[in-house]
Amino acid sequence: MSELSITELSNDLRNAIAKLETTGNLDEVGVVLRVGDGVAWVRGLRNAGYNEVLQIETEEGIVEAFALNLMEDEIGAVLLGEDSKVKAGQTVRLKGTVLSVPVGPELLGRVVDPLGRAIDGGPAIKTKQQGLVEREAIGVMGRKSVHEPLMTGISAIDVMFPIGRGQRELIIGDRQTGKTALAIDTMINQGKQNTGVVNVYVAIGQKRSKIARLVERLKQEGVMDQTIIVATSPADPASLLYLAPYAATAMGEYFRDNSQHALMIYDDLTKHAVAYRQMSLLLRRPPGREAYPGDVFYLHSRLLERSAKLSDDLGAGSLTALPIIETQAGDISAYIPTNVISITDGQIFLETDLFYQGIRPAISAGLSVSRVGGAAQSGAIKSVSGGLKLGLSQFRELASFAQFGSDLDEATKSQIERGQRLTELLKQHQYNPMSVWQQTASILSVTKGYFDKVAPAKIKAAQAAMLTRLWADHKKDMTELDKGGKPTEEILKSIEVTATATAKGFEG
Amino acid sequence: MAKLSRRAIATYVAEQLTAGDSKKVVLQLAAYLVDTRRTKELSLIIRDIQFYLSEAGAVSGVVTTASELTAETKKAVEKYIKEQTGAKTVALDSLIDPSVIGGVKVSIPGRELDATVSRSLTVLKTRFKKA
Repeated sequence: MSELSITELSNDLRNAIAKLETTGNLDEVGVVLRVGDGVAWVRGLRNAGYNEVLQIETEEGIVEAFALNLMEDEIGAVLLGEDSKVKAGQTVRLKGTVLSVPVGPELLGRVVDPLGRAIDGGPAIKTKQQGLVEREAIGVMGRKSVHEPLMTGISAIDVMFPIGRGQRELIIGDRQTGKTALAIDTMINQGKQNTGVVNVYVAIGQKRSKIARLVERLKQEGVMDQTIIVATSPADPASLLYLAPYAATAMGEYFRDNSQHALMIYDDLTKHAVAYRQMSLLLRRPPGREAYPGDVFYLHSRLLERSAKLSDDLGAGSLTALPIIETQAGDISAYIPTNVISITDGQIFLETDLFYQGIRPAISAGLSVSRVGGAAQSGAIKSVSGGLKLGLSQFRELASFAQFGSDLDEATKSQIERGQRLTELLKQHQYNPMSVWQQTASILSVTKGYFDKVAPAKIKAAQAAMLTRLWADHKKDMTELDKGGKPTEEILKSIEVTATATAKGFEG
Repeated sequence: MAKLSRRAIATYVAEQLTAGDSKKVVLQLAAYLVDTRRTKELSLIIRDIQFYLSEAGAVSGVVTTASELTAETKKAVEKYIKEQTGAKTVALDSLIDPSVIGGVKVSIPGRELDATVSRSLTVLKTRFKKA
């Protein structure tokens, strides 16, 4: 069939449909039956669809809601604004759309709410495109295996639990163990290393003051220009907390679908599940385990499945996700943690004990894993990471035995000493991400034994001195190493010479 | 016996009314509502019945204006509704409500045409709040 006839057919069909439309200006309307706790029950509107936006006419303007419970006689809709304005008897209309948010580069550097409205005091956001809040994840054929690294700048992660672009890696741990700090460092690293990855940070039910501090920090680090923050505070209605990660993902998907790379940080999904539980119970859906509704798994799986590495045909963009989950007393077998662990491609488990021992980031080597990142690790880091994770977990086990003070054989002693040095080396200050060459040279200096005579307490100082010398003396080699390729013999030699020379000043 | 939905009740009553058996069905419905203690739902059920009757071609509605409508305008509105809904009969009640300020609002079961000044003001108010 030729192009012309298809156009004609399309026009004929459109005309035929227009003639059959009998509703004219008569809008379909419903009535609010009762309202409370952020939920309105509406009768009428037989053509309302799931997740469709409803407009309730109140005395102070139109309040929007979205339909979540479609029942025979009534609709349960969750309000997107204050419920105090909505009263029984008010007229409800269909907006004719499902929820969508503005997407595009115009959002970069801005702080918005889940409906895409600016909350940073800046001008209103005008974008060319809108993105659907709920969207089906890309299928298998549209994807490609994760193969490019997403450097976090945190050597413990990049070396032992590498993250690839398009991966979903969970950050899990108790309160105050540095979960958000890891995520923020990763965002900062994207700016420092000029990776071009766009950061989308979703704050779910977090204090406005915390968001303000984060924005300030990101501005100081020069990363805000490539960051979008979608913020909700505890004072916002549960519906907004529920929508926040989906809306933010829509904003991230814009970059993924335009051959760019984006990083999503969901901080945190525990609060998201709690907001959804609140909504579900108010919608009178039956409660299940821990009073969560039956579809709480689907809540997170449909969200995280949208993070993907796209195939070359679709532009090879990617959306990486770092969801955060807060555990209670280190219990990772609770309902929401197990769900999200099973959805993601690995987890970084942060331990309170390690945190208070001063091992920060407090990453547990035994419980953390990255299931797909290995394929994405850069050659430079891969060449030094072999056996590191195993060695570190064995050390932590042995170290607890060594506390009893019994006689230890030489092999165990040396393993413990190496472990202590490695632990010291992997400590890293916040807002201080490391580049590939820095990580490679640091790890090599301990695993190859160049720092064997350095006292564990002096390891960090020795590391800093070595890195400064390396950069001063072998800038060209280090720039080459930073590109991620496997280090050449020449580079390895220069690291060895510099590390051995530096170590002499820190013996003890 | 499982609780009948309002939709099921309204469909049955509307069918009976269209068939012309109004006395019997009124008694039946009254008895059912008393028996199942659902008399509170009466106004909702009546609305639903209106809706199904309008689907069957008998539209009843309300025209709200700020001042009295002329017979001519009322006829024009009736004609408009007939055209839009394909109804056989249209029965309109008039309501004078100064709060609409101007224009006209036509409410028929499940649908509404709101061309009043008060609605335009509400839309305007919302738009300015958003910006």
